Amino acid sequence: MQHGYWIRSKPVYHSLSWQHRAQAHVLVANGEAGRSIVRLLHQRLPDQPITVLYHPTQEADYSKSLVSLAGENLHVFKRESELWHRFEQILQQSVMGTRLYAAGNEYFLWQATTLAASHGVLSGDVMREQASSLARSVYCVHCKTISHRVTTNIAICTGCQRHLLVRDHFSRRLGAYMGLMIDAEEPGNVPEAEEVYP
Amino acid sequence: MSALKVIVSAIEQVADGICHFTFAAADGGELPGFSGGSHVVVSMPAHNRTYRNAYSLLSSPADRRNYQIAVRLQEQSRGGSRFMHEQVKVGSRLDISWPVNLFPISRVGHKHILVAGGIGITPFMSQVHELLRTGADFELHYAFRSPQYAGFIDQLQQLLGKNLICHDQSQRQVLDLQALLSQQPLGTHVYVCGPAGMVDALLSTAYELGWPDAHVHHEEFLAPPIGEPFTLRLKQSGKSVEVGAEVSMLEAMEAAGVDAPYLCRGGACGRCELEVLATDGVIEHHDHYLSDAEKGSGKKIMPCVSRAKCSFIELNL
Amino acid sequence: MNNLAYKRETFRDDYTYRNSPAAIRRFPFPFAEDHYMYSVNIEQHQPGAPGSIVEHAFDIDEHYVSECKDKLLTLAQDKGRYAALPHMMDAQWDFLELTMESLARDYPQLFTLTKDVDHWTWRNRPLEIEDSFIFGDASTLPLEPFDYMGRQVQGDFVLLDQREGTLFADAGFITSQADWSLAFDIGMSWHEWHGPVPQVEKMGIMDRALKFLMSLQQGSPVRRLNWTMTINPRLDTSPEHFPEWGPDKLTVTPQNAGEKAHLRVELQSMFRLPRSNAILFSIRCYLISLEELATYPRWAKRFHRVLKDLHPDLLEYKGIKVYHEAVLAWLSQHDDGAEIAAGTHPG
Ligand code: HEM
Ligand code: FES
Repeated sequence: MQHGYWIRSKPVYHSLSWQHRAQAHVLVANGEAGRSIVRLLHQRLPDQPITVLYHPTQEADYSKSLVSLAGENLHVFKRESELWHRFEQILQQSVMGTRLYAAGNEYFLWQATTLAASHGVLSGDVMREQASSLARSVYCVHCKTISHRVTTNIAICTGCQRHLLVRDHFSRRLGAYMGLMIDAEEPGNVPEAEEVYP
Repeated sequence: MSALKVIVSAIEQVADGICHFTFAAADGGELPGFSGGSHVVVSMPAHNRTYRNAYSLLSSPADRRNYQIAVRLQEQSRGGSRFMHEQVKVGSRLDISWPVNLFPISRVGHKHILVAGGIGITPFMSQVHELLRTGADFELHYAFRSPQYAGFIDQLQQLLGKNLICHDQSQRQVLDLQALLSQQPLGTHVYVCGPAGMVDALLSTAYELGWPDAHVHHEEFLAPPIGEPFTLRLKQSGKSVEVGAEVSMLEAMEAAGVDAPYLCRGGACGRCELEVLATDGVIEHHDHYLSDAEKGSGKKIMPCVSRAKCSFIELNL
Repeated sequence: MNNLAYKRETFRDDYTYRNSPAAIRRFPFPFAEDHYMYSVNIEQHQPGAPGSIVEHAFDIDEHYVSECKDKLLTLAQDKGRYAALPHMMDAQWDFLELTMESLARDYPQLFTLTKDVDHWTWRNRPLEIEDSFIFGDASTLPLEPFDYMGRQVQGDFVLLDQREGTLFADAGFITSQADWSLAFDIGMSWHEWHGPVPQVEKMGIMDRALKFLMSLQQGSPVRRLNWTMTINPRLDTSPEHFPEWGPDKLTVTPQNAGEKAHLRVELQSMFRLPRSNAILFSIRCYLISLEELATYPRWAKRFHRVLKDLHPDLLEYKGIKVYHEAVLAWLSQHDDGAEIAAGTHPG
């Protein structure tokens, strides 16, 4: 589907590691990516205060392991919106030198980054680790709806029901890949979708 | 690059060895607008050669009638500051470059800490006007040896009030960088201009405290492109061209009537590439076009920006 | 071109857009050689020959009024074609100042700007607009400054903020784009928005072009040409409206290609702006049908050869693949195989 070259807007992620030159550390994570935070908390801990904000999901809940490691530095939220609310409060009170870490699915990572950006934090200041699922959020360029958890190269837009080709072109601000109507030239000519983002 | 023609409309001695020059457009019109932190390169035609020095613009960017610069007479002057102090009078005509900004305020920053040491105050003069106009959250920390070395202090006090924090070393007021940089809200940017020791101290304090690099800015003046003169030999036409210290190889060839190719004149497009056949010196590559391997081979040169430290260089042209 | 007879024409539905003989003659034909590949084809944007498209900083031509009308139609359908992030307000005023000052200087019969310190009055005769406002006070204009003037100059515009060692596309007025989305790309950095362009990575083109632009200076604007093809003379070839123009691509035949297929050339110019230190990227689109192009046989011949051996990645990227054969068949009638001297001139 793509032309066999790397589209440079597609982000490259790394596994999180502590930035020891710091004044404080704030970690946000959801679901499956709780595992990354567990791994991080097993490494040599930095000297500065650590705060962990975690939103368990139906697929994965690492709260128990996290509590045993982080104790009262851990805050678990039932709803994702509550996590963002708390994160926002922390951003407001934090000083320069506070290191920010995000672990989660791709959309979550860029929500964290965008929220931080509204407090003057630059994209490069946030460390990001993608959870094991490569499922994509897809922005429909026609009706501007974002559909989540897309694992196939062709997806049906949850807004306008068009069949979208999922491109590799990625917008960090939207946290989503571009989706373009695949049968625009020849309506009805939709190839078989393949599972490519497990 | 087209130059701006200006006329000196006022000269004022502001502190020991520091003169303040005001320029107006020679045609009586408006000068180009500029952004806070900009400088201009002033061409100074002394009797034996032309000096080119970069000076920060001090005036308000909103004022298009005048530009102002401050020139400190340097003991070991290369000649430029001496020329400005001794030869330039009210009414003198000068060529200056268009304003260039290598020290801009970050437009996505939420707070700005400006740190100046001594004469390092100059790039901040236009920045404070810009920050005041946009209503940004900022403070200026000004460290100086003693009040008589604190240029512009009255003007700054008037403009900034509480946002100006002075550190007078003769009163043992030291600037505590650790305290300053450990208490700033997220989204703050810091800017420093001053003696090398102060700049280094600030950079390392910020680094140790975990400030990301992109939030820490320091003034870097691009050295005006000067080199040494040398001779160009053109193999195919048999011509010989003298390249002066002030001009590029491309300009020298054009002046000698040689039809050399070019597009961007900035070392990016690759159009002006020429083959080097021989030289008795080393090539100084300033382009972004050639690969490191090609630069290393010494067989290619981009005459729009690069030159050579040599007595002669022979090209296949 | 100060005494323009503006053509009433459309860029959609019945597509009545046509070029006059004079417009064909000044068309920016981009191919100096029989082969084409991307390069950093940047040159100084200095005033060119009288009557040429680069005589002035911004080119106003016979399509001016109709093109500005088309912009309004597109904006009304899709608000996402104009966007400006909050930190770009200084750049917006810079844009307004540069375009007003340039147009009033270069086309005094059409546009006038009078200034009484900060009280400015702008008159646009062809569009019958007259407004007085206070420079720097957005509340005195009917629209944001960038939006206000974006509607009155032909072409598309991007304002780029320079920081963190790159450029960010932080504002745009985009109604005649060659298949890219402002709503999606807004806020992206240089390498992100250029991500989809094939073949440039290995040539280092984008790295070099970025370094060059980062040191672009006020008073020394630059320009380059880019090109693609469009079926029917349509300005709004956006991904947003792809379902509207996509089907047209399948209607091209060797018989109708001369009329339907258009060479689309963008004159892209870049200016460093004064107060904001931002860069203005202006994209001025010129459309010409193959029939019009063939008025000058060497253009048709050359275009035939360029298209014939265009790199497959570029054919795919520019969306030409589906009608490539049909267009080649039409153009081949005009190509006798004789050699053509280098250069882009028509005759
Ligand atoms: C600074 C302003 C510039 C902006 C805002 C800009 C923007 C864009 C955009 C949005 C695209 C479409 C990408 C897509 O498919 O989604 C594009 C394509 C491209 N750009 Fe730029 N660009 C700029 C400058 C340049 C420069 C200076 C070069 C010089 C080499 C360049 C070379 C290209 C090329 C080769 C393409 C592919 C075009 C095609 O094949 O039709 N761009 N640009
Ligand atoms: S003219 Fe472009 S690299 Fe020299």
